Amino acid sequence: MNSTVIDRRHMMLGTLAFVGAAGLRPGFATAAGNDVAYVTAARLASGAFGILLLGADGAILREVPLSARGHDIAIHPSTGRVVVFARRPGAFAVSFEIGNKTAPHVFTPGEGRHYFGHGSFSQDGRLLYASENDVITGMGVIGIYDVARRFKKIGEHSTFGMGPHEIMLLADGKTIAAGNGGLDTTPDGGRENLNVESMQPSLTFVDAESGGLLAKHEMTGELRSLSIRHVTQDAKGVIWFGGQWEGNPSETPPQIVGSAGLDRAPKLIEPRGKGGDDLKGYIGAMAVSNDGRFIAASAPKAGHVVYVDTETAAIIGLSDLKDVCGLAPEGEKDFAASSGFGVIRYETARATTVSQHELQDIAFDNHLRRI
Amino acid sequence: MVLRAIFLILAAFAFAVQAAGADLSPEAGDDAVAAPAPSVGAARPEPLSHAAMVKAAITSYIIPHIDGLKAAAEQLPTAVENVCKTGTPAAQKDLDERFEKVVVAYAEVDFLRFGPMLEKGRREQISFWPDPRGFVARQLRLLLSSKDEKIAEPGALAKQSAALQGLPALEALMRDKDTPLGPGEAAHYRCIVAGAIAANIVRLTNEVSDGWEKPDGWADKLLHPGPNNDTYKNESEAAVEIVKALIVGLGLTGDLQLKPQIDPKIKLAPPYQKSDLQKAYYAASITALHQLYDTVDLESWLPPDRLWMKDWALGTWRALESSDGFGGKAAHAERDDVPTPREVFDRTNGLRNMVANRLSIAAKLTVGFNELDGD
Repeated sequence: MNSTVIDRRHMMLGTLAFVGAAGLRPGFATAAGNDVAYVTAARLASGAFGILLLGADGAILREVPLSARGHDIAIHPSTGRVVVFARRPGAFAVSFEIGNKTAPHVFTPGEGRHYFGHGSFSQDGRLLYASENDVITGMGVIGIYDVARRFKKIGEHSTFGMGPHEIMLLADGKTIAAGNGGLDTTPDGGRENLNVESMQPSLTFVDAESGGLLAKHEMTGELRSLSIRHVTQDAKGVIWFGGQWEGNPSETPPQIVGSAGLDRAPKLIEPRGKGGDDLKGYIGAMAVSNDGRFIAASAPKAGHVVYVDTETAAIIGLSDLKDVCGLAPEGEKDFAASSGFGVIRYETARATTVSQHELQDIAFDNHLRRI
Repeated sequence: MVLRAIFLILAAFAFAVQAAGADLSPEAGDDAVAAPAPSVGAARPEPLSHAAMVKAAITSYIIPHIDGLKAAAEQLPTAVENVCKTGTPAAQKDLDERFEKVVVAYAEVDFLRFGPMLEKGRREQISFWPDPRGFVARQLRLLLSSKDEKIAEPGALAKQSAALQGLPALEALMRDKDTPLGPGEAAHYRCIVAGAIAANIVRLTNEVSDGWEKPDGWADKLLHPGPNNDTYKNESEAAVEIVKALIVGLGLTGDLQLKPQIDPKIKLAPPYQKSDLQKAYYAASITALHQLYDTVDLESWLPPDRLWMKDWALGTWRALESSDGFGGKAAHAERDDVPTPREVFDRTNGLRNMVANRLSIAAKLTVGFNELDGD
């Protein structure tokens, strides 16, 4: 395999630009205080699973072993603390500090719950929210954890749907957006979906403090089989979502990326061609550029990243990278994308490759987060 | 509770590292005999091309087994009808045997979760398992209490829950000791439902067969990749689909059939346990996966320094086939000892990892880490 040396100068500029844009994400570019640029779960060269802390040049700076496959990462806004969640139906989360090599702290969602792989810190960093399954009822739960008390679980809200996947605290600091996949699963049944024929996917908005339902957009009609999986938010506050098609493959919608808001019904973006964009029915991750204007959505089964200009809701770029999934903003307008074949690539929203780095025998998992 | 969880996680981690490292090392186990290095100048067989892999899988494995399922299913309605008319032990035995043949035939294609089996949710409709929430029993109770005879009308059952449409629902009716299928009034409506299910299984398996074999069907789609093919743009993409099925099959067998035996926290009834067919299901799964593994011959791509993997795989298949899947010895076991459930599970996982991470790469087929089942 070929490795290209990353353009370090570009990356430094990118990092500076990122810091300059920090107003969009208060506190993000502070506490790490070292060279760690990204965090991702991965399958390591040994075949075991772990968390990788990567430099901007893709070099592995630290490995944190996991007992099983991890999924997404929540990053504490001010202390550099990160939490990595188990892949569903896992029941562990691992917390550690970027700049402190003390032993990671492991916590669990409690009896009768498991994680769905995603979570989000409160803006003041005191609370952690996690997407979870109430195994008995199959309904989605937002677990609430007290960070200062070693992630003691202190409460739960409903996601008002079944099978939530990504949840995200929105920029207002008060609202949680939850992508409810609509699928019923249990740990006893492995990863099998038990209710595809009657699934009710939705995008819900939940009051982070009271747990009240602020809005619920159900996928109906021709979209009733579009399981909402991943969400992100642009600079204007619009929510962008990516789905996984669980219906007849022959009826896959031409596009599975869309936008919505509390008072705005979901609307899929227009595909580039008449035949659709051939994303093979699955969006594995979403990210927004640091200036908040561009959206990236990865389609690992198709090996594409779709870039959308939020001003026009039009696709402005589509890149090719086998098994691409992890996405993170880089610089002001660019993105980093990671793949299951150990590639980290930097590219613009016009899908122009800036540089690429490749790690041998490493498989990056679905999500990549920028420190 | 947290401390216990940490302990469990660390224990699981220790095992994961052990399994990942030890199982696939060339020195591991008594089966891992180092392959003799090929003599200088000895000709190695040509690796099976991606196109040849696809063709072999379709002609030698997929179509014969899909046809086998269809043929087995076609015998069900008559057998159900005979039991319901006569209730004789002979008719009951005949239905039992025919039901077993369908279950075994289904186990041999369960992992082909793409194309016609995926379309319209046919897989779940034919065999709604796993069923950890007991949907089959619940839905069947509701239907039986309704006594709605319109369920026998063509297409009526197809509008019902998938849990009602296939083999597990039929099995539940066949194994109900309180009200067995037969000519009596008590079983009248049950026989109507059983007949409808049997006919529905025939419909579904016919649709799967037709989806594969009709002109421009899924077999043609796999055999003729290209820019105008809406699913497979080249021969490698078609071959990846077959290899993914193999990986999925090993994963399903490990997670759903074997893992519940070594993890007491998992409460999942084995497939078709009411009919005591769980061992037959396991045996059919393993035999089928082994046959598909041999058919695509990924090992033909191994470089000389990786030939030890063939020996490891051979030992693993021998272990899996020497087990009855439930801690006992298979009827035709080649091993003298009985592989433990732990060994069978570990080897199934190891083989899955080897196909996904080693053999497919050796064969220049890129089966993605993230693309396999989504999340």
